[in-house]
Amino acid sequence: MSWINWLPALVTFFPLLGVAVLLFLPREKTGLHRFWGIMATLPSLFFALYMYLHFDQGFKGLQWFQSVIWFQIPILQGEPWTFHYSMGVDGLSLPLIVLTTIVSTLAAVASLYIRQATKGYYQLLLLLETGMIGVFAAANLFLFFIFFEITLIVTFFLIGKWGFLGKVKAANRFLLYNGLGSGFLLFAMVALMIMFGSLEYSDLESRMGQVMGQLALLPPQIETTLWAVFIALMIAFSIKLPVFPFHSWMLRTHVEAPTPVVMIHSGVLLKMGAYGFMRFGVGLFPEQMKEIAVLIAILGLINILYGALLAIVQRELKSVLAYSSISHMGIILFGLASLNAAGLKGVMFQAVSHGLISALLFFLVGCMYERTRTTELDDLGGLAKSMPVFSGIFLVGIMALLGLPGLSGFISEFLSYLGLFQNYPVIASIGALGLIFTVVYALRALLKTTFGPIHERYRLLNDLNVNESVPMMVLVALIVLIGVYPDSLGAPMQVTLDLIVSRIGG
Amino acid sequence: MEANLALLIPLFPVIAFLLLIFGRKAFCKKMAAAVGVAATFASFALSTWVLVAGETITWKVPWLQIGNQTVSLSIEIGSLQMLMLFIVSVVSMLVHLYSYGYMKHDDRIQVFYAYLALFTFSMFSLVMSSNLLWIYIFWELVGVCSFLLIGFWYFKPEARDAARKAFVVTRIGDVGFFIAICLAFWHAGSFEVSDLQAVVESGQLTPGLITLLAVLIFVGAIGKSGQFPLHTWLPNAMEGPTPVSALIHAATMVAAGVYLVANLFFLFQASPFAMDLVAYVGGFTAIFAATIGLAQYDIKRVLAYSTVSQLGYMMLALGSAGYVAGVFHLFTHAFFKALLFLGAGAVIVLLSHEQDIRKMGGLWKSHRQLGIWFLAGCLSIAGIPPFSGFFSKDEILLSTYLDGRIDLFVIGIIAAFFTAFYMFRLFFMVFAGEARGPKADSKVPVVMMVPIVILGLFSVFSGFANASPMHLLTAWLSKGNDYTAATGHAPVWLPVLVVTVSLVGIGLAYLYFGSRKWSTSKVVQTVPRLHKLVFNKYYVDELYHYAFVLPAKGIGWFLYGVDRFVVGGLAYLTAWIAQFIGRIGSRIQNGQAQTYALVSVIGFVLLIVGLTAGRFLK
Repeated sequence: MSWINWLPALVTFFPLLGVAVLLFLPREKTGLHRFWGIMATLPSLFFALYMYLHFDQGFKGLQWFQSVIWFQIPILQGEPWTFHYSMGVDGLSLPLIVLTTIVSTLAAVASLYIRQATKGYYQLLLLLETGMIGVFAAANLFLFFIFFEITLIVTFFLIGKWGFLGKVKAANRFLLYNGLGSGFLLFAMVALMIMFGSLEYSDLESRMGQVMGQLALLPPQIETTLWAVFIALMIAFSIKLPVFPFHSWMLRTHVEAPTPVVMIHSGVLLKMGAYGFMRFGVGLFPEQMKEIAVLIAILGLINILYGALLAIVQRELKSVLAYSSISHMGIILFGLASLNAAGLKGVMFQAVSHGLISALLFFLVGCMYERTRTTELDDLGGLAKSMPVFSGIFLVGIMALLGLPGLSGFISEFLSYLGLFQNYPVIASIGALGLIFTVVYALRALLKTTFGPIHERYRLLNDLNVNESVPMMVLVALIVLIGVYPDSLGAPMQVTLDLIVSRIGG
Repeated sequence: MEANLALLIPLFPVIAFLLLIFGRKAFCKKMAAAVGVAATFASFALSTWVLVAGETITWKVPWLQIGNQTVSLSIEIGSLQMLMLFIVSVVSMLVHLYSYGYMKHDDRIQVFYAYLALFTFSMFSLVMSSNLLWIYIFWELVGVCSFLLIGFWYFKPEARDAARKAFVVTRIGDVGFFIAICLAFWHAGSFEVSDLQAVVESGQLTPGLITLLAVLIFVGAIGKSGQFPLHTWLPNAMEGPTPVSALIHAATMVAAGVYLVANLFFLFQASPFAMDLVAYVGGFTAIFAATIGLAQYDIKRVLAYSTVSQLGYMMLALGSAGYVAGVFHLFTHAFFKALLFLGAGAVIVLLSHEQDIRKMGGLWKSHRQLGIWFLAGCLSIAGIPPFSGFFSKDEILLSTYLDGRIDLFVIGIIAAFFTAFYMFRLFFMVFAGEARGPKADSKVPVVMMVPIVILGLFSVFSGFANASPMHLLTAWLSKGNDYTAATGHAPVWLPVLVVTVSLVGIGLAYLYFGSRKWSTSKVVQTVPRLHKLVFNKYYVDELYHYAFVLPAKGIGWFLYGVDRFVVGGLAYLTAWIAQFIGRIGSRIQNGQAQTYALVSVIGFVLLIVGLTAGRFLK
């Protein structure tokens, strides 16, 4: 064990250094806050890229694994409960950590329209980054839970203080629903601790395997408890993803939260749901997952069609994107329900790809709002005339959203659908209708914004400036890279996915 | 070595695209056009070389891992593909050249050339791919280029709406193709066309599955090739610049559906039902669109319906086992229809962007050269020997006849009559008589005239590619397959009948629109309802609007209500419950020791009862 094993910790906690630096800055020096806010995200980005480049693609299990005993709780009989601080990275977490660092840096750059209380804002933003990376880098459920809660609380404040008009209600709704989810998560965690005496991912996996192997010999209560834990986990992550009908909190958040927070929220926070499904659903409870696969496929179908149909009738751009997120999370459910190599890869691809695409689109909408002061579709139009660069990038973003081949959205969508076609061709075929609806709402958003005759009042709008367009181009480049060369994202996750698939069995 | 050279064919346009899109500010208009033309000329030279060399080229590189399956980016250029590459490169190069004249005054000509180059790249790649997934990928990319170019004049609401319609309607078809690919992967074990062929021919797939796959793929082809009932987008697509209509919506992309069916012909052959479907959809579309073409007044719309109709002919041929006939017509049609569109574009430019043929006329006198080449195109599409359309249409009707589909044969003959009539209606209205609208006092620029002349020459002579007794194309296309095994001998009366029918159509058109001895208003007055029906394109758009668009919107609004009040109400309920529990909790903690004691006693009793009651109940 060498210093290199502290890498996940470095990635996770470096933003805290920025929080500390910001503490000592005077309150009114907004420029300095921005500078340090952005700078503090860079080390994590750097280390995450280092991890990506040095990731051992053939290694099974967690890399750069680090575990120390944190605290113990003595119990009446037997060994005391030991809680570890343990972190590590595998094929599931690596892509999401890289995604998180990229989106965080870009969100920090995109925060240029946050004008009040910037000191506190950047501190919270950096704290949020630590929380998010921690969720993915944690190697036991306890640590996962703590980081999960950090993101929740911090996001609550970010929405509640820096959001738009309905921010207070949105923040409350956000906290309420997610708090409910955390309750289920807490229950599952405690139950697992009581049953297995450890919350380490590796211990949980091996003991689950043992228990499932001799389930017939064990008392029936064990199976019931396992089901209860599994369902609690499913509900917790369903709220996070969100799965119909738990989605209403997320719509408000998307509309009311400040642009950078929505970028993070839609880009990364929702993906914690997908990650949870993969890590604890498919990874830990493959047998139970198989039992409810049909249900997940149907929920996915509902998400896809419901989100898309509602996106078609929205009159406001951010709501279109919010409902489109619901639809796209349905695709993740499709991939999960397939429980095969193609579908699970689709889940991971969709998590990363949708993260990039929605970060790009919400950034674009934020920049547009700063100029037009409206996101109502009926009031927009013809922006291609005065903002050609904006319109060009928006075009690419929308094309990625509707799954144009050559861009990342296609690969993820395709893999998820392909996976489901093996087991549930009928559900998948009905779900393919979503591909049509997606085109309808995505084009509607595009054409109502940048096409058509221009309104007189938009004739003199400034096009994007460099510190807006450069981050966007980074996102576009990544979207194209994954679309054209998917193995750049797929190769690191291959071994981990193979392992999961082999555990699911035939 | 050869494969590497062939790979350059799509590479040139994609380089041109990147140069133009990122350097659009750096290039002047002339430079942009030069980049586009140079790139497509290079591709044209290579395509010709590949065609002349005539050796099948294969190339493969791994791309994506799915479980233990490796999906490859694979290329196979056989006879059909070589022919397609040649067609695409010729038309694309000429359209690039022509566009410099047509789009000279547009500020965004650099972007226009970028999109054209991207389209050319995608179309080449679509043809070269030998893997269903990659065909689908480029299938979508040509679609998006079509969308971008239809909506190139983004500020025009009609262009915007047409672009959306094109994308959405073709996407409906694409979903069929998409499902077919996914099913093929799980049943054939790979996306490779050759693997699918092996599985189909070895009989491992059930007939039902083969039919399902073929039908789903044909749904994709229906969308792309504007076949009934997904034809509605193609006439609207005429809102795009005319060079685009010539390249994408006449010669190449819309023929991709026909190409797809031809490329997967083994699959269709294995399913009689699919063949029937292809033939009947094609035949119906051929006559359906031809009748609409009779009553339209926009010069480009007439040509668009004619394209739909001709694509229907190609499908009819393929469905009637006329593999060569279908591909042959694709080949000749690409040239004469591109010619007609480019000619129409020249007319439109001359008449300062007037597109209504009722306001045209007299161009034969002032622009004789344009008139002659346009006439060549009209004679070709009408099927008059020795123009190219005669040979290919003759083969289509022959294969329909030999296949024993007499009903479709009759339909084909009637459609041929309509074709001749509406094309010469157009010709006479534009070129004969006196000017009825804007005056054409300028000349057609040379950059526009050269492509017209070259395409004109192709239209006149390309029919000899498969003329008797050589049948070069048949020999060429039958390399390595047995699609052409069942050819019979043509009855002598067949070409005579076709030509007679066409001549009658031309003659009638002359009487109504050339000499104007007869008046069309009388016809309209005798069957006013029918005329209205045809003029309004059988109200298909309106039907779709009420049958699909409005219900979908209605469902959307209904669900939106549900979302706000039912699902949103659920959220309120949750919030309320949380608050309620909180309030009870805070009321209990009121500091009165007696209450606390009471609660503890009740709790204790409940606990005892709970622990002991079970035993008594057992």
